[in-house]
Amino acid sequence: MTYEPPITDYDYIVENCTCAFCGCNCDDLDYLVKDGHVVAVRHACRLGASKIMEDMDQRLLVPMIRDENGELMEVDWDTALDKAAEYIANSIRPVFYGWSETSTECMKEGLALGEYIGAVLDNQATICHGPSLQAVQNAGYPIQTLGEVQNRADMIAYSGSNAMNSHPRHMARYAVFCRGYFRQRGRFDRTVVTMDPKFSDTAKCSDKWIGFEQNGDYGFYNAIRAVLRGKELYQDVISGIPKEDIYELAEEMKNAEFGVLFFGLGLTHTLSKQRNIDIAIKMVQDLNKYSKWGLTPMRGHFNVNGFNIFMAFETGFAFGVDFARGTTRYMMGETNTIDLLVRKEPDCFMVIAADPGAHFPNGANQHLADIPVIQIDIHWGPSTELADVVLPGSFIGVECDGTSYRMDGVPIYMKKAIDKPETCRDDEWIVRELKERVMKLREEPNVAPKYVPNSNLDLAM
Amino acid sequence: MMEYILKNGIVYDPANGINGEKKDVMFKDDIIVDEVSADAKVIDVTDKIVMPAGVDPHAHVAGPKLVVGRLYRPEDSRMGVSQKTKVLRSESGFSIPSCPTTGYRYSRMGYGTVVEAAMPPLEAKHTHEEIATIPNIDIPALPLFGNNWFVMEYAKDKNIEDLAAFISSWLKISKGYGVKIVNPCGSEAWGWGMNVHGYDDKAPYFDVTSREVVMALAEANEMLGLPHSIHIHPNDLGHPGNVPTTLETLDSVKNIKKSSKATIRDQVMHVTHLQFHSYTGNSWKDAGSGAVEVADYINKHDHITCDVGQVTFDETTTMTADAPMEYDLFKLSGLKWTNKDIECETAAGIIPCIYSKKSPVSTLQWGIGLELFLLINDPWKVCLTTDHPNAGPFMRYPRIISWLMSNEKRQDMCENEVHKWIYKRTTLPTIEREYDFYEIATITRAAPAKIYGFEDRGALTPGYKADIAVYDINPNDIDPSKQALDIEKGFTVADYTIKDGQILVKDKEIVKVKESQNIWVNVKGWERQEQKVIDNIMPFFTQYYSVKWENYPVQDHYVSNPIRVDVEK
Amino acid sequence: MFSLKTITFDQIKTSSIALEMDEVIPDEIYSWTEADFAKYEVPIGNSRFPITDFFDITVEGEAEGPNEVKMIFNGDLNRVKYIGCKMSAGEIICNSSVDLHVGAEMSGGSILVNGDAAAHAGREMSGGYLEITGNTKEFTGASYIGEWRGMTGGEIVVGGNAGKQCGECLTGGKIHVKGNCDILAGIHMTKGIIEIDGDVNRWPGGQMKNGTIVIHGFLGRLLEGFVLEGVVEDPEDSGVVFPGKYIKYTGDIGLNGKGSLYLDAEANKEKLSTYGELDDDYTSIREYRNL
Repeated sequence: MTYEPPITDYDYIVENCTCAFCGCNCDDLDYLVKDGHVVAVRHACRLGASKIMEDMDQRLLVPMIRDENGELMEVDWDTALDKAAEYIANSIRPVFYGWSETSTECMKEGLALGEYIGAVLDNQATICHGPSLQAVQNAGYPIQTLGEVQNRADMIAYSGSNAMNSHPRHMARYAVFCRGYFRQRGRFDRTVVTMDPKFSDTAKCSDKWIGFEQNGDYGFYNAIRAVLRGKELYQDVISGIPKEDIYELAEEMKNAEFGVLFFGLGLTHTLSKQRNIDIAIKMVQDLNKYSKWGLTPMRGHFNVNGFNIFMAFETGFAFGVDFARGTTRYMMGETNTIDLLVRKEPDCFMVIAADPGAHFPNGANQHLADIPVIQIDIHWGPSTELADVVLPGSFIGVECDGTSYRMDGVPIYMKKAIDKPETCRDDEWIVRELKERVMKLREEPNVAPKYVPNSNLDLAM
Repeated sequence: MMEYILKNGIVYDPANGINGEKKDVMFKDDIIVDEVSADAKVIDVTDKIVMPAGVDPHAHVAGPKLVVGRLYRPEDSRMGVSQKTKVLRSESGFSIPSCPTTGYRYSRMGYGTVVEAAMPPLEAKHTHEEIATIPNIDIPALPLFGNNWFVMEYAKDKNIEDLAAFISSWLKISKGYGVKIVNPCGSEAWGWGMNVHGYDDKAPYFDVTSREVVMALAEANEMLGLPHSIHIHPNDLGHPGNVPTTLETLDSVKNIKKSSKATIRDQVMHVTHLQFHSYTGNSWKDAGSGAVEVADYINKHDHITCDVGQVTFDETTTMTADAPMEYDLFKLSGLKWTNKDIECETAAGIIPCIYSKKSPVSTLQWGIGLELFLLINDPWKVCLTTDHPNAGPFMRYPRIISWLMSNEKRQDMCENEVHKWIYKRTTLPTIEREYDFYEIATITRAAPAKIYGFEDRGALTPGYKADIAVYDINPNDIDPSKQALDIEKGFTVADYTIKDGQILVKDKEIVKVKESQNIWVNVKGWERQEQKVIDNIMPFFTQYYSVKWENYPVQDHYVSNPIRVDVEK
Repeated sequence: MFSLKTITFDQIKTSSIALEMDEVIPDEIYSWTEADFAKYEVPIGNSRFPITDFFDITVEGEAEGPNEVKMIFNGDLNRVKYIGCKMSAGEIICNSSVDLHVGAEMSGGSILVNGDAAAHAGREMSGGYLEITGNTKEFTGASYIGEWRGMTGGEIVVGGNAGKQCGECLTGGKIHVKGNCDILAGIHMTKGIIEIDGDVNRWPGGQMKNGTIVIHGFLGRLLEGFVLEGVVEDPEDSGVVFPGKYIKYTGDIGLNGKGSLYLDAEANKEKLSTYGELDDDYTSIREYRNL
């Protein structure tokens, strides 16, 4: 890394902005603005800073529609919105996917549209921390806010997460290096353990690295649980870890005053998927008999948790909610985006603030190529190549304000710092426009003539 | 301008002493009036019960722990799923309904105001987002103060004036209504996996007892003259043998003088879900009811009001800021345990919970709740709650009403349905008292409104908000003690629910959905002290909170269309 | 004997979006005539279409109740889900592979699938009999997500292999897999029986509290949460006897579980070799236990 001199040429500073990158939602950024653009960002990590500063890189500026030759042609807003609304109104199994990089205010409009037309609403959890949510639903959710970690934690464990690279300020601002009220010496007051098959950058700055074998997570945590119950391990090596190390680790975890387990996609996407998290949660619950332990999933996008929270309070389910029959329905393997796409069910796909073209498995993308895809985003990406209608949105936390939820569930108001490009629109506006246009095109399907309470409520009526 | 006249209803309006009079109720736009013009629309409610709309003094309906509950209990959410209609969105949830469902269900029962009883200031924005999503009811929220680090410091230093300024400031910041205290010092101890035991136990490190925190908050509350008193969930919830702790808590504030500004309420402490705090014995093996003792104290003292937290025998979800208690429950049940610690402020725990008629403990809890209702003589001192969703979902209120109104039903349940502990461990089978409609109206409307110091609801006084419920029950034609099921049916769905003069429920169907309003208290005249307090705590805040100060307060746009209650200095 | 009403569904058209058949179960349609079916619209996505667009429906005979109904599906049912969902009586025969949730929440009657089944087959069954001659995918006989009470009764027979997490949260009833079983069979189970004729690659019975898992084939990896009890003969659970010699484990000790895991002694001989050389009577195991 070469030395970069500090930026001195700017018009004004906007303080306490919120980073729109990872689930850390650092809300202490200062934007240096010149000529209506952010030219430098203070306090942010490289990931956050570059995303904010390079907001005009490959920027989608004008609405586009794919013509019969397969080329994206620039059109005016009305034409593009009408076309998109037509696709949605005519669809039988629409899927609205994304939402993790936009505000809850925008989700509200999207939900109204989804409930009206009977769509499936899903977010990136389906391809990242969905297994965590499923495990939470099976086992519970002992979490704490990140300030609690900062102030109290003396043992930090990262499992299947390389925070140093994926959430660069996580260790500095919330978990490891920062000074806390009861941890005045910062890093020196904390023990850091990384559990990861890979000797990652996080492992390099940890006190301990547990390099269990790939796909061995479930067996490993099961062994720790057995040790916590006082069982002698019968194998010498479990999931690639010598049993003595497991005894030692279990003892250390029991003796911590306040421990926190942060886990990432390394845990959610190996062989036993949600069950890895499930047993990790159970282990944390066991540890609470001896000391205080909690955990937090290392959520990726800045508002991926926000969508789950938003959907939970609006509909009762966290992600993959299917409104097709005028009810709310959630069933993993059935109402999740990837499953639907691989089964080739959807006949219209709206992607907002996400990039399935880059993230989805091939089988899913193949189906996307066959059906109408509406993209609402700020950057050109692989999904743009799949899109039939492109609607350029704006950058939450930089060009427009909105609410997001940090990985630990703390709500953050992301303020606006600069104006959006003139031809772009706010996500919220776009989705509201779509909703209003769809409402004109198609009568609401699956409306019950009369409210019938669910018989499970056992109401005297 | 719209004028309505509800004709020939049988009115129960305890705040105005109206007990079952045949009487017309009139309202103009959103206000109750005592006369209307000849053009007023007539709604015929002949021989139907007319009451002010219900006021729920303590429920958990919006906020971070609710959402975690919904998020991690899809099996509960699917229990209440219904199809959308032209007016309603799809419902979901049994014990923890989604936000729209919450609004619909309260509206159907004829409720107009529900207090969200625990709001962590750090996540107040979230609570207000949910409040804005709940339709049809007004929702004040009580911010949590009992384990706040600043509060504990002020309490230790006995610095009541700064504490008052802090409360005043934090009510503005979180857009809250009053002072909620949950397991004072205990949730802070839970930060280290511990709890406090008893009223005089100290929080680790902070070196301050629950007693000191509660007394300081009570004094500060009265210094500010807030419309509501302190609202406390005492220590040792759910532990057999917690009666002494409860009584000490109640007794400790008896010498604190009620502020002269708080003209409506009588109490200086409202104690919530008292049922969970009225157990005798040393363990569940020898646990028994302490309701007689506790009710006796309340009967003899006027500085206390309470709500009950009645168990309803359902599979529900317990969620409280008393996190260590939830972990104890988890160790008993082994079902999925959720915990949520919030930096420098509070903690919360959630687990699914099954109250079964066959279980001795559930039966005991059910009995204690009813004992409290029946043994506290003055209905103005006790309110109907289930501490939703802790002891049962709020949609069971009609069932509780039917139990309160029918000794026959209670005796039948004691004999045939519940565990035999009801005879050995409680006095419920010996109590014959039955509530009448006037008393029911008191515990579900008038008393909660008075306890909260509401100046615009809970009564059919001209000038008050037109929040009215009409139930399809003819009091002259029904014998509640024999027709428990009809009572339950009658209160389950209101014939009419009128909120702010808008007819939301008509002929037992929701016909309209309106935006809800938050109610918050704005203390005036403390601005200088508030600024001083904020200046003092700022270095600490910057260092030890994980959000910036600018991001901490609830921005105005989260509380669209609030009702602001001004308290003058 | 009662007269059977036979309803035959011959497929004439497939749909790329799944048909949802939860309303077409014996409990609902036992009295329906062909004319009733002609009027019925089946939910597909956010719309409904006439069921006769997709099936040629023939009704023969009369029925007084759902138990007198026999439904036969012919054709490609790979996009027909919720077959027999919530049924309480009657008989369904599917001459094809079926989509998600076949026999989910059924409380009685029987379903025969001559083919494979997609995920969630027999989810939360409380009674009845579900036989799948082919393979099943994930969550056979499992619970709804978040629910800790899964299948509580009835029997599922899988002729082929079963996917991951078969019998998750099993709370009663029996699942018999004649082929192999993928990872984590019987995870979180609290009661009931899972019998697997084939092999299991890893980790059966994770976090099980109680119940019985019998594996006649070879087990790849066992969890540390299981404690070796020794070799037993002819074990039984709820009256079902499994003849032969089995290695018995108890677990999952991580949560003080008392579930039984029986491995066929012959097929899993090498598991025991960890505890020293084996003779025919497995005496070394007994010695191990005595230590």
